[in-house]
Amino acid sequence: MPDINLLLAGLFLPLFPFSMVFNALFNRVKHVVLRCFLLIGWPHIGLAIIHSTDTNVPTWIITWALVTSLFYAFRMLTLRDVGQWNSFLATSVWAMLWLTTSDMNLSMHHIYTFGVTAPLVLLALLSAGLEKRFGAAYTDLYGGLALSIPRFAGVLVVVILAAIATPLFPGFFIMLKLILDTSVTMPVATVVLLTIWLLWSWAGVRLLQGLIVGPASQGDADDFNLISCWSYVITLVVLMLSGVYLSGFLL
Amino acid sequence: MMSKLILLIILLPVLSALLMHLLEGKLGRCVARISVAAILLSALFSGVLLWLSLSGHLIGQSISISPWTILYFDSLSILMALVISLISLIVHIYSLRYMAEESGYARFFVLLDLMTASLLLMVAAGDMISLIIAWHFVGVFLYFLLGQDTRNPTAYRYAFWSLITYRIGDLPLVFAAVLLFQAYGTWSLPIIFEQLNQAPNAHSVFGLPLPEVIGILLALAAFARSAQFLLHTWLPYTMDGPTPVSALMHAGIVNAGGFLINRFAPIFANTSDVLQWVFIVGFISAIIGSVLMLVQNDIKKSLGYSTMGQMGFMIMECGIGAFSLAIYHLIAHGVFKGTLFLSAGSVIHSARKNDGVPQDELYTFVVEKRPAITRKPWLLMAAFTLSVPLVVLILSHSFVSEDYFQKQGAIVLLFFGWITGAQLIFATYRTHAQNLWRLVFISILSFTIVIIGYIFISHAFNVYLYPDTALREKLIAAASIDKIRFDILVALITLTIVIGWLVAYYTERNRNGKHPKYTGRLWTMFYALITREFYLTDLYSLLSRTILSSANKLNVWLRWN
Repeated sequence: MPDINLLLAGLFLPLFPFSMVFNALFNRVKHVVLRCFLLIGWPHIGLAIIHSTDTNVPTWIITWALVTSLFYAFRMLTLRDVGQWNSFLATSVWAMLWLTTSDMNLSMHHIYTFGVTAPLVLLALLSAGLEKRFGAAYTDLYGGLALSIPRFAGVLVVVILAAIATPLFPGFFIMLKLILDTSVTMPVATVVLLTIWLLWSWAGVRLLQGLIVGPASQGDADDFNLISCWSYVITLVVLMLSGVYLSGFLL
Repeated sequence: MMSKLILLIILLPVLSALLMHLLEGKLGRCVARISVAAILLSALFSGVLLWLSLSGHLIGQSISISPWTILYFDSLSILMALVISLISLIVHIYSLRYMAEESGYARFFVLLDLMTASLLLMVAAGDMISLIIAWHFVGVFLYFLLGQDTRNPTAYRYAFWSLITYRIGDLPLVFAAVLLFQAYGTWSLPIIFEQLNQAPNAHSVFGLPLPEVIGILLALAAFARSAQFLLHTWLPYTMDGPTPVSALMHAGIVNAGGFLINRFAPIFANTSDVLQWVFIVGFISAIIGSVLMLVQNDIKKSLGYSTMGQMGFMIMECGIGAFSLAIYHLIAHGVFKGTLFLSAGSVIHSARKNDGVPQDELYTFVVEKRPAITRKPWLLMAAFTLSVPLVVLILSHSFVSEDYFQKQGAIVLLFFGWITGAQLIFATYRTHAQNLWRLVFISILSFTIVIIGYIFISHAFNVYLYPDTALREKLIAAASIDKIRFDILVALITLTIVIGWLVAYYTERNRNGKHPKYTGRLWTMFYALITREFYLTDLYSLLSRTILSSANKLNVWLRWN
């Protein structure tokens, strides 16, 4: 019975091929608010199921989770749709959370999950912003955002950096925690985690380059007004501070 | 007071970046002066710290803000902080006018300040987490600095190469950090070094002594940062970025590998085989960088490969246990390479204005690769070459240390001094000058000054950076190899130089004759190989395309879910 519950949790802390359900659902849902709710709520259901089973997660599931995370990080490399990129990164990040299930209580686990998911929520909002301005959130389609809508591009850059676990954001400290936990007992897992981190960076940079680089796109796209810009900046600063705060418990 | 000064050195560039971003709208382009003022203050404060350190008032000051935010100012970090802030100050001042016509003027200075702050944090980091954070940020800010012109996809393409190589280098550093934490239960570097010093072999990991594994991981991180062979391809190609960024990168950022190895000297002192491998990688990089530099026809790319060769030399110095010499080398290289990059623009500019290229022998030899018509006597030049090591050995024996001959590292270094000297004399031999003896005299004199300077300054750096004699001796011992291998190495180097002179003699004798068919073909193949940069960039591009194509096929097969 616990194994069935764990498999059910594999739908929400996605394990391939169950992960395809979340990705199909995320692509089907077009409304930005629903997408944000999906991102915020989905992994927490999985966590609740895991903690309700009250059993240790077997090694084969940990291995499965790592492979899933690596698989989606690898597949992210060629994605051009920002929304799809976001859902693949979410899959890759959440699959990793299986590694932390043994030594955390549920409330801390929820906080960490929220920490790594928050940049993805911001990216979903920005993705919707791109669709509103250009009709699609797609790389190499218009480009040149750094010149045409510089404030938006600046925020987009920082949000993507936060999503790929750049230092001071929560993702960075959680990656460190995972690497710390596996370094001696499962060195192969550490190498896989480091590879996943590298693939995220690669995919993130490809996404950025396809959006911000190039001559300014034609047409009158509105940039962020000051209020929107500062809202994002404050959110990112809070996220960064929460990353530093979380590090106190992690490291 | 001292703690505030130390904090200010790092915080000033961050504050300046923040202020510039906020005041850009009001102050316009004048906002960049805030940045220059902040870096000037950082440089001044670093200078004060160095003065205090030299006068013995400041010894290994550390400020602990949290368990993973420790700033550690010892001789190494104080010296490096001054070097970084001074180079950054020059780059800032240069950029005030150089970047005036460019879009994103304020953004450029913001990024430059953040890069300086990251570099300062990197050298002052007293714990592994701060070091990783600074190490990571240097790569990220370099990416955006190289892509300052957002209209230029090529600049971003090559900036990506640098970023991904740096990320590859970040990962072993992270691995090393967590292994150290697992073993010693702290992120603090001074505590780790102290515990390691007390019991070097107390911990092992994966069946190997811990220092050995950590040494390998740190060396890998240093190789990626300092463009060592197989991880070097990003360096010569990142020339589409602004010239001040190239200057900062070549003068300050790529040197980080040498700094990292020096920072972890107490760990390397307890390794057995790592430094030998470091030497080999540095040696290969020095040779390949220098060879590739010779076939470039683009001044900036040529400088890029020159940097690779110099970094190889720096890493090699670490490999022979001459850690402080590597620091001297990186400072000297930073100064001269920074100057070359900052003047490259005006050289190109004046060449565009005036196409009357200097038609002297030096130009036709260096730029057009045409050999000079007249040569100096072969025997005379060979005699000079052979006398160089003798002179150097006598000087070092007399003025530095009586047991200099007994140190393997010193001997290897002298041999490389010999190679450098031979290279210089080769060049002199192949050029033509109206006053032969004057040219020969200047060449020999400059070479001797360089070598003597090198020996004396390295001695001074050694005393300042590594006052602990035991550590210095441990480093030399860790870098030593057994006598047979050492003798073989010395014999090989000697043979290479002698063969070099024989080839020069043979070429001189057959100057007007044709090469035999097989040597001509071999030479063409070799030339093709080096002009294609050993096909490494092609190989990496192919690898990258294969990875992307596989990812794409998987996505199509799984219907993008």
